[in-house]
Amino acid sequence: MITRLLVAIVMAGSLLGVTVSTQQPPPQQQEEFIPIDQLPPQDQLPAAPLLITAYSFVVLALFAYVLSVARRLSVVQRELDRLQSDTTRGRT
Amino acid sequence: MPKWFVPVAVVCGLMFAAAPLLIANAPYESTMGLVQKIFYVHLPSALIFLISAIVCGVASVRFLFGGNPRHDRLAWAAAELVVLFGIITLVTGPLWARKAWGVWWQWDVRLTASLMGWMVGVAYLLLRKYGGPGSDKLAAGLALFGMANVPFIYISVNYWRTIHPTTNVLPTLPVSMGLPVWFTFATFFLLFLLLLRMRVRLEEQRARLDALYLSADA
Repeated sequence: MITRLLVAIVMAGSLLGVTVSTQQPPPQQQEEFIPIDQLPPQDQLPAAPLLITAYSFVVLALFAYVLSVARRLSVVQRELDRLQSDTTRGRT
Repeated sequence: MPKWFVPVAVVCGLMFAAAPLLIANAPYESTMGLVQKIFYVHLPSALIFLISAIVCGVASVRFLFGGNPRHDRLAWAAAELVVLFGIITLVTGPLWARKAWGVWWQWDVRLTASLMGWMVGVAYLLLRKYGGPGSDKLAAGLALFGMANVPFIYISVNYWRTIHPTTNVLPTLPVSMGLPVWFTFATFFLLFLLLLRMRVRLEEQRARLDALYLSADA
């Protein structure tokens, strides 16, 4: 009887120990708002390169498109002029 | 080119020169700081992206039911602007998100629907280039899906749980931030009109060239 009681106490104690040991300490809660410029350096991502990349991309994309349309227009216009002059020459 | 083209181009150029001053003088947003200034190009380009898709869709409907090639040319021109302003939106957005959200991309409803809208624009252009005879009608049908996606992109943030800000941001902006963003939108809109006209002109000249070749062969 005493042996069974001891085994039960040891098992209950070991289970309690496992439960306690597997519990993680509660995460430390952030207590207040931290402005972006007061974050530690490892948590800060520099904004300037992202901003510069965004604006550069906008300018380059628009410029490239304007150039592309202007180039295609000039090619078609040149061909149109050549064909019109050929047609006029053929008639005369 | 029409008479309005050069004056509008001059005004647009002056506005492009003035926009950086307004953007630089706008106050920093309290939580995001400097990177929030991407907003002043991201939002106008996104709105023009949606407007281009609507123009492409409406012109395609008119072409499908009326058969007027003028509408087809307008739809083709607008589809190129869908791709142009779409890629600007899809590149500037992640650059801002990386800092503000900590990730480049989220598969949330607005971002995914915007990507789909852009891909419809790309599909339209590929169809026109490689689709052969009859691709104009097929592409016009595709443009309808692109246009149907527009209200979905716009209102999705109000109905689904998403990390993207809702449509309430724009009307509630303080004047110090609202003025630069509306100014940049007006600049982008003028540029959109100019580019659309240039691109339509290109298609008109191509049509003239085709007509000349046909008459030369006859």
